[in-house]
Formats: sequence, structure tokens, C-alpha cells
Amino acid sequence: MIIKTEKLTRQFGSFTAVDAISFSVSEGEIFGFLGANGAGKTTAMKMLCGLLLPTSGTASVAGFDVYTQSEKIKLNIGYMSQKFSLFTDLTVWENIEFYAGIYKMKPKRIKVHGAKLLQELELEQQKRRLIGTLPLGIRQKLAFSIAIIHEPRVVFLDEPTGGVDPITRRRFWEMIYDASARGITVFVTTHYMDEAEYCDRVSMMVDGSIMGLDSPARLKAQFDSKTMYDVFLKLARKAV
Amino acid sequence: MKHFKIFVWKEFLHIWRDKKTLMIIILLPIIEVLLFGFVLTSEINNVSLGIKDLDNSLWSKNLILKFHNSEYFQVRMLHSAPEVENALQSNSIKAVLEIKPDAERKMRAGESGIIQLLLDASDPNIARTIEVYVNNIMASSLPRAQPAQSYLSIIPLMYYNQELKSVFKSVPGLMAVVLMLICAMMTSVSLAREKETGSMNVLLISPLKPWHIVIGKMIPYMAISIVNILMITALSYFVFGVPIRGSLLLFFFFSILYVISALSFGLLISTIVQTQQIAMMISLAGLMLPTTLLSGLIYPIRNMPGWLQRFSGIFPARWFVEILSHIMLKDSPVSYYLQPAGIILLITLILLVIATKRFKLRYD
Repeated sequence: MIIKTEKLTRQFGSFTAVDAISFSVSEGEIFGFLGANGAGKTTAMKMLCGLLLPTSGTASVAGFDVYTQSEKIKLNIGYMSQKFSLFTDLTVWENIEFYAGIYKMKPKRIKVHGAKLLQELELEQQKRRLIGTLPLGIRQKLAFSIAIIHEPRVVFLDEPTGGVDPITRRRFWEMIYDASARGITVFVTTHYMDEAEYCDRVSMMVDGSIMGLDSPARLKAQFDSKTMYDVFLKLARKAV
Repeated sequence: MKHFKIFVWKEFLHIWRDKKTLMIIILLPIIEVLLFGFVLTSEINNVSLGIKDLDNSLWSKNLILKFHNSEYFQVRMLHSAPEVENALQSNSIKAVLEIKPDAERKMRAGESGIIQLLLDASDPNIARTIEVYVNNIMASSLPRAQPAQSYLSIIPLMYYNQELKSVFKSVPGLMAVVLMLICAMMTSVSLAREKETGSMNVLLISPLKPWHIVIGKMIPYMAISIVNILMITALSYFVFGVPIRGSLLLFFFFSILYVISALSFGLLISTIVQTQQIAMMISLAGLMLPTTLLSGLIYPIRNMPGWLQRFSGIFPARWFVEILSHIMLKDSPVSYYLQPAGIILLITLILLVIATKRFKLRYD
């Protein structure tokens, strides 16, 4: 198990943002982490990334404990969010160099992997262009490729496709599948229920707890729904 | 350390790509020094002085000649009371010297009240200065035989700044303001930008440690500050003749200490705010304004009410200006300004402790 949590809890004062969640993710899996705004997704993700200490419970990522080995976790994960897609005032290549550099990649390796990345995205000609001059869709794909340039064992994607058109989203998911095929575990939060269908397994978070966790097909059967959208509505309503 | 270096490099790139801001932070000190040096001066030149001579004696003619020959005054002869009033009101003259009838004879008889000086006191500072200048010229015209009004005579000697050039005082103050602006505002805005765009999370999730981010943000602005210090000093030395009489090494040492204190202010601001705009507002209104007004750059600190004087003590600028005038003008021994130096150090340490605590609180 590459990610494993046991009764993981985080409180802010008297408010419990994450309430004793237990789940595990296996290597290479695409794990959808769903929930309404304020359900506790971001808090849970921050704990797994080593940004936030849990109040109680246990969790390990890539075999390292979130309490004591957050530095080792950081070296083995990648992160990308919708909000941040690269530094707009830096060029494509400078962004690659920066991201790979802060993940302690050697200059030689940066050159090789960076060139391969540009080739895959057909961006060789745009190497020296400022990110700000590229369309959003290309930026998002580039951001994802850069987030996994250091070949992390897990990549955390925080609503990676927000504001992107359906075709780009589709291509983006193809890239996620590729990464997963290469053995990189993908931990993804999303608001789009059609995207939930693409995941191997999905967890539904409501008010800090996980209310459902299974493959999309089984979840639909369990909640007697045709789509993941209905599953989500049923669970969210139950909470109210 | 390599990943730290690349982070610092990224910061330099950010600054380099933002040419407008870069121009401002490089040109601003130059413009400010020139403006303050040429404009904000309390010395006067070419003041138009009206003289109404009712004596018409040899002595009075001589006196008028002295004013004519002085570089401070532009003499205009006036003949009647309405003319005097008109000239003062229309602002065409700033002062009127009226030599009373029979002044020479009365003076020799030891009488007083032979000369009257009318001043336009709508600007009290200028009026006061003109008065002093006029008195100086007058003094040499009164015969030596004239009995002194008192046996105690005060002869002022202006030490450290013989010509009373205000640029001598404004350079340290200016340095305090410019460095505070660049360091505090730019670091707080730059850190707030990472928060605003969401890249702060990316940085914190990466193997970079929080102190890498903090120090990495500070280094480029420290470098720019050093360039600014060099430019301000060179400009004020070559254009206005402001000397550095003390040790150049100490001068740079304390300037860098002050820069660190300003950077810590910026860091503290960045832990409070979420957006660049608010970071800028706080650094401008909450830091720049008090720094300008309470550093002694424009208004002397000892003229302020006691509570305000004590309040001004929490801004490093006040102490920095004190240290700089010790080093630049007086070449005082270090022990004379150890206290202000200690206070800046203390302020810096307190700021850094609070800021790192807050920084950790937010992201731990």
C-alpha cells in the first residue's frame, strides 16, 4: 500500500475538519478523492503531503510516516493544483529547471528528462516562451508533466482540470493514465463527476468523513444510481 | 544547497522580468536624493529683499551696498508705505528693511530703533532664516565702538556641517526610507504573490524548507539594497559633497543590519496578509509613512510630543538615521552609537521570531 491512513483526524479548535478517515491506496492506482467544498478534502491532502500535522490517527505515504518523515515524503511525491499552473513570468524551460531543481534532480538528468517532456508535449519550439503567453490548456498539461518530472511515487492533483475545456480535460486524463501505467500512483480531487468515472476507485467525503469508497461501478450499484453524479447527490443529501 | 540556489535564481528572474518595478526600485533612490538635495533645503538663496531708505546717509548707502553684494539677497528699493505693503502682499518680496530717518546720527548717539525689519511670516521657517541672515550682514555694519548689549556674547560655531546644508541630514533619512520601501514592501508583496497564485503550496510541499523560502526571498532584495546604498552614497558624495568621515566598513555593516530589519518587517507583513494589494497597503501606510515622518528626515524628532518620540522608537529608521549621522558626519567612536545599534538588533530579532512563528503556525 503506497498510501495508508488509519483514523486520520484533524481538528481546528473545536471544529473537526477530517474525522477519523481510514483508507489505503495501492501502487499505480488512480484514486479519486471527492467531496463538496469544505468537506475536508484539502485538509486531508495537506496532511498526506506533510504540510499539516494530524491531530490523531496514523498515515503513511510511500512507506514514510507523516508525523516523523515528512521530509522523505516530500521527495517522493509530486503536487499540482488548478490554482497554480507554473510561474507565468518564467519561460517553459525555466519552469522545468526550477521545479526539477527544487526536487534535487541533477542538472544532467534535468536536461534529459526536460527534453523528453518537451518532445512529448510537442513544445520544443516554445521552450523559450514565457508561460504567460501559452493557452491555459497547454499550461495545465505542462504543469502535470513537470509535477511528475522527478518520477515521484505518488502525485497529488488538487482539482487539476478546473477551468479547462472538455477536450483538454480528456487529453489530460490520458496523461494521467500514462503516468499510472508507469507505476505512479495518482491521488486526484475533482468536482467533475464524469471524471470520477475515470478513476480506479473513488472515495466520497462528506463533513469530514468518508461515506463511500469503492470502484465507480460498485458505488453506483451500492447507491442504486445511474451516474456518479447521483451517488454524490445521494450521499451529500444524506449528510444534510 | 543546490535546490536553494535555484530558488534564489528564480527570485532574481522574477525581479528581472518585471522591468517596470525594477526601474522603479533602481531609479527611485536616485530621484529621491536629487529631489531632496535640491528642493528640500532650509538654506536660502536670492531672497528678494525690499529696502526703504529714509536716512539717505553715507552709512545707509554703505549698508545697502552690502546687501547688494550678498549672494543671499536680491535688493529692490522701495519708497513709500503703500509700495511696501503692495510688494509684501503680492509676494514679490519676502522682507523689508526700513532704515529710519536720521539713523546714522542716532546710531552714533547710541540710540536704538534705527532699523526695522518687516518679514513675511506666512512661511515661518523662511522668515526665521531671513532674519538670521539679515542680522549677520547688519552686525558687520555696526561700529565696533558700539557697546555690547550684554557682556556675554554668543558666537555660534557650526560643527560637522559648517554650511548648514540640509542635504547632510536628509541623506541618512532618505537611505532609511528608500531601504525600508524596497525591502519591506518588495518582500511582503513577493511572498504574498506566491500565496495569491497558489504557488506557495507547491513550494511548501516541495523539499524546500520554509527557511529556504524566507531567506531565498530576502537575498535578491538584499542585493538590490546594496546597489541602492552604493548609489545613494556615491550620488550624495559627488553631487552634494556629503562626506563619510567615519569608517566605510562600519557604514556598510550598519546599513546591512538595517536592511535585515526592514526585510523582517516585510516578512512579518507577509505572514499577516493574503494578497499583494493588502501587503502593499500595509507596507505603505503602516510602514512608509511613519518611517518618513518619524525618522527625523523632514521633522526633527525632538520637536515631537514625548509620547510620539517614544513611539518613533519602534521604527528602526529613527535609530538608523542616528547611527548614520554619527558615522557620516561626526566619525564618533562606536561606543557612541552602540545603543541605537542594539535597539535595531533587538527590533529585528523580535520581528524575526514573531514572523517565523507565524510562518510556521500557518503551514505546519
